[in-house]
Amino acid sequence: MPDEGFGVGASLLRREDDRHLHGRGQFVADIKLPGTMDVAFVRSPHAHARIRSISIPPEARGRVFTAADLPSVKPIRVVSHSTGAKSPPWPPLATDKVRYVGEAIAACIAPSRGEAEDLANAVVADFEILDAMIDAPRGMRSSRHPVHEQWGDNLYIEHALENGDIDAAARAAEVTVTREFRMQRQSGAPLECRGVLAYRDHRLDEVVLYASTQTPHTVRVALAEILDLEERRIRVVAPDVGGGFGPKARLYPEEIILAALALELDHPVRWIEDRNEHLLTTAHTRDHHYKVTAYADRQGRILGIDAEIVVDAGAYGLWPQGPYHEAGMVARALPGPYTIPNYRAKHCTVATNKTPLGPYRGVGRPGACFVIERLVEEVARAVGREPNEVRALNLVPPDQMPFTTIGGMRLDSGDYASSVRLCAKLLDMPAVRARQQQGEPDGRRIGIGFATFAEQTAHGAAEFAARGAAIIPGFESCTARILTDGSVVLMVGIQSHGQGLETALSQVAAEELGIDPARISVRHGDTESTAFGFGTFASRSMVMSGGAVARASRMLRDKLCRIGAHLLQCDVAETRCAGGMVSGPQGSVTIAEISKVAHLRMDGLPQGVDPLLDATATYEPGISTGVYSYATHGAVVAVDPETGFVELLDYAVAEDCGTMVNPMLVEGQIRGGVVQGIGTALYEEIPYDETGQPLAGTLADYLMPGAAELPAIKIGHLHTPTPHTEYGMKGMGEGGAVAPPAAIANAVRDALSAIGAEVNETPITPRRVLAAIQKAHRR
Amino acid sequence: MTAIRLQINGAAVADDVPPRLSLADFLRERRNLTGTHLGCEHGVCGACTVLVDGAPARSCLMLAAACDDREIRTIEGFADDAVMQALRRNFHQHHALQCGYCTPAMLITARDLILRRRAGSEREIRDGLAGNICRCTGYTNIVTAIAEAAKEFGKEPANA
Amino acid sequence: MKAPAVEYVRPRSLADAVALLAQHRNEARMIAGGQSLLAMMNLRVASPGLLIDISRLPELCSVFDDADAVTIGACVTHAAIEDGQIADPSRGLMPRVAATLAYRAIRNRGTIGGSLALSDPAAEWPAVLTALDAVVVVRGPSGRRSLRCAEFTTGIFETKLAADEIIESVRIPKLSAGGRWGYRKLSRKSGEFASALAVVVVDRARGHSRVVLGAANGAPLVLDHTSQLLANGAQDLRSAVAADLARAAERHFDEFQHNLHTVAAMQAMQQVLQ
Repeated sequence: MPDEGFGVGASLLRREDDRHLHGRGQFVADIKLPGTMDVAFVRSPHAHARIRSISIPPEARGRVFTAADLPSVKPIRVVSHSTGAKSPPWPPLATDKVRYVGEAIAACIAPSRGEAEDLANAVVADFEILDAMIDAPRGMRSSRHPVHEQWGDNLYIEHALENGDIDAAARAAEVTVTREFRMQRQSGAPLECRGVLAYRDHRLDEVVLYASTQTPHTVRVALAEILDLEERRIRVVAPDVGGGFGPKARLYPEEIILAALALELDHPVRWIEDRNEHLLTTAHTRDHHYKVTAYADRQGRILGIDAEIVVDAGAYGLWPQGPYHEAGMVARALPGPYTIPNYRAKHCTVATNKTPLGPYRGVGRPGACFVIERLVEEVARAVGREPNEVRALNLVPPDQMPFTTIGGMRLDSGDYASSVRLCAKLLDMPAVRARQQQGEPDGRRIGIGFATFAEQTAHGAAEFAARGAAIIPGFESCTARILTDGSVVLMVGIQSHGQGLETALSQVAAEELGIDPARISVRHGDTESTAFGFGTFASRSMVMSGGAVARASRMLRDKLCRIGAHLLQCDVAETRCAGGMVSGPQGSVTIAEISKVAHLRMDGLPQGVDPLLDATATYEPGISTGVYSYATHGAVVAVDPETGFVELLDYAVAEDCGTMVNPMLVEGQIRGGVVQGIGTALYEEIPYDETGQPLAGTLADYLMPGAAELPAIKIGHLHTPTPHTEYGMKGMGEGGAVAPPAAIANAVRDALSAIGAEVNETPITPRRVLAAIQKAHRR
Repeated sequence: MTAIRLQINGAAVADDVPPRLSLADFLRERRNLTGTHLGCEHGVCGACTVLVDGAPARSCLMLAAACDDREIRTIEGFADDAVMQALRRNFHQHHALQCGYCTPAMLITARDLILRRRAGSEREIRDGLAGNICRCTGYTNIVTAIAEAAKEFGKEPANA
Repeated sequence: MKAPAVEYVRPRSLADAVALLAQHRNEARMIAGGQSLLAMMNLRVASPGLLIDISRLPELCSVFDDADAVTIGACVTHAAIEDGQIADPSRGLMPRVAATLAYRAIRNRGTIGGSLALSDPAAEWPAVLTALDAVVVVRGPSGRRSLRCAEFTTGIFETKLAADEIIESVRIPKLSAGGRWGYRKLSRKSGEFASALAVVVVDRARGHSRVVLGAANGAPLVLDHTSQLLANGAQDLRSAVAADLARAAERHFDEFQHNLHTVAAMQAMQQVLQ
């Protein structure tokens, strides 16, 4: 533990807060450059059509750009090494066809956004409308007008996973539960939409992009290739970013076009996405179909799972990973943290005439958790036991760790059954059961439901290579620098968009260097000032970037001690670096003094020690297959059987993410994730009509949870540090969003158990609840 | 163009604005007051909330042209405000912000709740925040921060 | 999205506003609070040529409290009603309703007249004013006329307001001391538009009993049979509601909406019967 309570483990208050509390944050739209022109896009009103012609009013020539006007811009192309993967080219501005409502056709430039929209409305495109392929399970092998003609079918990829002997399990089963599940399409919907500000810096001979992105370095890699420009002539900066959650961890056509326009026009150009555009064009998420059977014995021990998984991935692949990983992730995570011995999963990733699908907090795990935890509930009901007893029976016990599940997840450590007990305790389960017995005066039904999961985090090279990725985010980097006054700058390749990494990473450096975090700055999100890194996603930042910060800090600490020992005329082995100084048996010297020697008085350096206090380190965890945090979530609901309305009365999380660098930040991430998961469970949905029109274009249709709909989220912690990372920490940023759909669906199941109604689709809307009740009555 | 004369954060401002220009864009683009944010431009998310003549209003649903002779107060204009200071301190202590995008509007709304004495219970506070979406925090800490700040102002309404 | 180009004028009197409207007719829209109109303009589903700002006209912002009724100016805000800043003819119904309307920031600017003029099917005021048997006073080039609120809204976003008329005020008869009301709004999320809305007003002393549904796929729906039964103190109201809903076949309620309307009506009536 650190001296002054500001290192690893301290709930240090955030330095990011000050600017935001005073309205001095700097988001893309807040950055002002003289001469900036605003951009609006002409977008396809059709889900699937050939473009016959585009008419631009004569007075608008020079201010409207189609693909033909930017001929050197190459299409986006995801590379996947997975067998059978098909990858369509995606021209950033449509050429001959449009394949989803919202696809960009032309960029219009004007002094203000309003005028740019006026211009866009004056551009007239003529279309030959084609059939929209919008039913993934039905149309995956053939449709009248395939999304990508050269394919023959509508499959990006399909794959099967089989371990053990599922047919034997089926024969041996005393209980068989088969269900279909559906997660409806939704948006990640951060509060700040996307945005790009691009201009040419003639002094540095660069095109500069300010972009609301989670992954600036890899965006630069892509832009260099697509625009045929050397990377040294491109700078990408993510300033303050108002939420990312996954959808902003992908390359978008607008980034490419804005860079191309900046190069072409030589004045700054700006595109600020509005909410309608966001719901239309920023990556959609979830959109899974499942048909799954669980085989069990009479005690509820699950003998095997047989699953069919369909992911509706939209019209194009989002660079760099495309849609190729999501279904596979679901397949690997679906058997859950259980000792299930037999498994088969067939998964198909389907192209449709909808917005491209991207990652969103949890990615494939919320769907996988939804399926397995609903099945656990149904197996329990079939054998007449409490669902938590059936969980305990099947969960991997601590003494079997490390354990590789039948889905291929190598669980490293943890006591899963304890999390179930802790969660039930947080919700006071006996009191809930007693309340259920009494009945409610208003006729509503009370229910309690749980869901347990393990979350793969900070997975590295081996995992991404196994997924066939051409770009492997297997490490992170840090350059740590001590300046001549002893203050510190950490330059990291990740990007913080709300997680508090400027604070948490300074705690890691403080832990190693013994310097107050208040004297440590963290620079992130800028390709100019940081070594290469992949960005913030996959619950990786504290482990990967924190690990790199720790290593770089230790390198500096070693050098400080060597120089300090020389100045103190003692042996290096006798020195200690703490409290802002290096101390020896006869005295101490401050880090600032050492730094002055290293920079301004290098004649004072020992033999063999070079000037400067700069260290660059990379880090990947001890195991590439990821470290697993885990949790059990529980929900208490009140369901009105007459209206189908579901009220969330209570919600608790019992979680274990190993060592917490900053417990306050960890709890913030859990609560934020949980509420997003509640949004998935109860509110958020983008339906499509049969012509491929998305039906949620504003926040009046696209409902997100507000404070009034929610209880306080209770949290309890377990602590199982992993041996594979610095300080024993595990990633945990996404976990909060993984379990709520399952826990809430199980709670609704419990509430309506007397009726026998189940809802196996998200969001669990009043209509779906009433339909389930009617279905149960008809049986 | 419409001529307007108004007060922004206590300072007199005169300008000529295109009628279509929203108050939000006027503040952000013409006055360089970028603390007020846009999240939807249809009045639901609340990120654009400012004070108009002392009461919270959606700056995305007001025309700058219609603000002639009005008093506008944005997040940049609360330096010496006791309620705002208490809110800032409590938001910081209780980790009530993450990405910061909703924060200015959340503070202005919270301050209004405290002044109208509508922050006396968790239920009241949650209902009072219905018009401010936060996508990052899950709201728990925001509610705690407001409840704690409200305690500092007891039964007497603070000076606006 | 940004609003399209538009002209703007702020007349200093109601007479000037009426004259401007007569002059520009179909090109002009009144703007009061703007909370609906500007959202529509930002989404580019409305593009008037001229906005006539009536929000600060003193004639439209006043409230008159006489012996039998309260007359509320069209530009009185929802917040003013919510906070009890103005005389309340409804013995608490109107402040209660106002508090459930959208969000506080919207209520600080949105107006009762604006809500009535737009007549969004899910809006609260048209249903409430119908239940209270209010009268809307409109002003045109040829002077004033009064219409019963119960007949004012004719369909989805359709009213009897002529193209050259402005809503001036609503005159609401005061509930007697024994008058009772019930109100139930069902929505999934606080502040969102209602999925179902029921307003019940029973004032035996004035021989008035009315059960009204909002969010009813059109103008507010008066449940006539139910209203009568309620007036007579009948207890089995569920079948009356079902009968009234069945008679409203042109509304095309599906089973889910049918359920919701029934629940809202029953719960609102329950408040009156307690």
